[in-house]
Amino acid sequence: MDHDQLKDLLPLEALGTLDGEEARAMAAHLAEGCDECEAELRAFREALAAMAISAAGAGPSDQIWRRLESRLPAGAGAASPSMQDRPAERTRDRAARIGVSRTWRVAAVAAAAAAIVLFVMTGNYANQISAIRADDSARIAALGRQARELAAELDDRNRDLAVLRGQIAVSGQLTQAVLAPDARMIRLAPLAPAPSAAGLVAVTPSQNHAVLQVAGLPTPPPGKEYELWWIGAKSGPVKAALFAPTAQGDATVASTLPPAGEQLLASAITLEPAGGVDKPTGAMYLKGAP
Amino acid sequence: MQKTSAIPPSDEAVVRAIAGGDQESLRLLNSRYGNALAAVAERVLGDRADAEEVAADVLWQAWRQAAVFDRSRGSVGAWLMMLVRSRAIDRLRARAARANLRDDPAVSTDAPDATFDINNAQRRHVVQAAIAALQDSERAVLELAYYSDLSQSAIAERTGLPLGTVKSRIRSALIKLREGLKGLGD
Ligand SMILES: [Zn+2]
Repeated sequence: MDHDQLKDLLPLEALGTLDGEEARAMAAHLAEGCDECEAELRAFREALAAMAISAAGAGPSDQIWRRLESRLPAGAGAASPSMQDRPAERTRDRAARIGVSRTWRVAAVAAAAAAIVLFVMTGNYANQISAIRADDSARIAALGRQARELAAELDDRNRDLAVLRGQIAVSGQLTQAVLAPDARMIRLAPLAPAPSAAGLVAVTPSQNHAVLQVAGLPTPPPGKEYELWWIGAKSGPVKAALFAPTAQGDATVASTLPPAGEQLLASAITLEPAGGVDKPTGAMYLKGAP
Repeated sequence: MQKTSAIPPSDEAVVRAIAGGDQESLRLLNSRYGNALAAVAERVLGDRADAEEVAADVLWQAWRQAAVFDRSRGSVGAWLMMLVRSRAIDRLRARAARANLRDDPAVSTDAPDATFDINNAQRRHVVQAAIAALQDSERAVLELAYYSDLSQSAIAERTGLPLGTVKSRIRSALIKLREGLKGLGD
């Protein structure tokens, strides 16, 4: 089938009603990337959406909100402007809202996907493989969609767990570092870019620990991270740690120890390109002397 | 995002704010589209409580995927309607494998986004005129195709119409609808 014949079938494609050879030919043609057909298809889909929205009219949606609200993180109503265009931050912040309900919800998604897998599999056995029609490719596409969503969900959960584990490990280190007899504290005072920020570095050479805790730091813009520095009398600034705070502006970060045998003049935090730099280049947010 | 601002935010602005984690914007998106999402799902599934769950699923997906929403591939409304249709149909298929628990629908109290509704009323008027311009036979087959999980062959079987007639009716209906909506903008 050529472009002209397939173009005539675009309304049926927009509805997802094509089957058999036509469905296969359409899928192949669109996969090749025909701009004209793509644009037509989009226009038909917009028309269908307008039809459906118009048919529904205005109506109540508070029941839907009630169902939705229970899935949202609590107490995170409006975003700070700095959070715009930074959805990755939300993922990092998920550690704060892993809960039983979420676990059950993921289990429910998994169960639903499993039910669909079973349904498709039994369907295929019953029909025998010879009866595979274009309907099946639609079903497989739907299944693929479910599987991708599920995989994304699992990825999210794994990231959540990694973040949580990391935070627990580092908090433990902070407590140990603070309680050690040779613990040395450096209080970091806020500078102009973040007047309400605060920070504390605990250095414990006996335990080979240095831990930074900060609060009130703004979310870094895309492509930026915070960098912690040791500033020595001879060596000048030496890279200590790289981090991004949670959406609440907190971070607990394990750091390298200050250079051995060096007289430590200060510790500071600057905003730097993601991945870090060897010498500070960006604005300084916090600074303190031992 | 203030509900009381003189110019209501565009759907795209609402989705951008959702991408930034703004729950109020998600609530606004729900007040604009929640009922339409549930209405589509209800026509597919025949059950309001199930339909509301599907609508909530779609908005939850929008919350999670707002950052990758691409306006060049279609409007926010078309995106949401595609998601709800696909989810409602998936659920219909899943029903074949298991029975669903149902909630009792309760009485509604919320007020939709009024300013948006006024702009939307004009839009709806144009859409309804375009739908009214369809022949009954065209509208019937178009709606059957949209609100069901039937292929064109299955529609022909269901309606007793020749396959060629099913195809030509769907085609002419959707082309008329699109023509009727031209110049509406989004
Ligand atoms: Zn083409």
